[in-house]
Amino acid sequence: MQKPQGRPINLTTERFLVRSVTPADASERWCDWSGDPEIMGPLNVAARRMTKDQLARYIAGFDNDRGYLIGVFTKAMSQHIGFFMVETNKLHATANFNLVIGDKHYWGKGVVNEVRAALLDEFFDRRGIEKAFGTPLARNFPAVFNYKAQGWRLEGVMHGQCKSIVDGSRLDQYHFGLQRDEWRVRKGKTS
Amino acid sequence: MSVSTTARALLAEALAMDAHALPADARIGALEQWDSLAHARILLALEERIGKPLDAAEAIAIESLEDIAKVLARRG
Repeated sequence: MQKPQGRPINLTTERFLVRSVTPADASERWCDWSGDPEIMGPLNVAARRMTKDQLARYIAGFDNDRGYLIGVFTKAMSQHIGFFMVETNKLHATANFNLVIGDKHYWGKGVVNEVRAALLDEFFDRRGIEKAFGTPLARNFPAVFNYKAQGWRLEGVMHGQCKSIVDGSRLDQYHFGLQRDEWRVRKGKTS
Repeated sequence: MSVSTTARALLAEALAMDAHALPADARIGALEQWDSLAHARILLALEERIGKPLDAAEAIAIESLEDIAKVLARRG
């Protein structure tokens, strides 16, 4: 039985279109990202190339209610360059943010915080979320930079939280959090 | 070479800037060149310099030229 679907995300930022993806968005380009260790390694996810069918089934598992898979597309060419995965907990009004920028031409170009700012507005203002959090690996330096640059609060270091897929060593993760009121205050200061 | 000079050289190289052009109060948010990828280059260069990985508490604290110099003074 098909799961009930929530409201898809559909946003525009200065440079990007940000919308919930559908199985029709599965592409060879996206499949390539899943098999690229340079892209998947910082997430401690094994690089195994998915087929388009596998990817389409994966996408179909997101309901735009509890789980969101949100594509980032260039405005100019509608080129897909990455995605956010946001998991919500309605009881606690929290949202767990994860992301991948698959197109390496866009690394270091401020994509993450431009898009995440729009998503924070959406989830805080229109989807009932009161707190966002993210848990990057401590060694994922670019991701950590982005959380700090955007004003997320470091809430803790989780020592040896997960096991490296490369060598089995224990890896540290940070826990970053951002509450709705903090975000609004921060936006007021920066806008 | 003093710790502060080494820190300045390390940061300048990671940011592809002239060391003399770096302000003494260089930090995240104040320099356009200090983006997410540059941040990774800085931390990796620092680890190479001290010969071991930064621990999570050290890595998270690095936000400025002064912070880099502090790590070098402590572990360099």
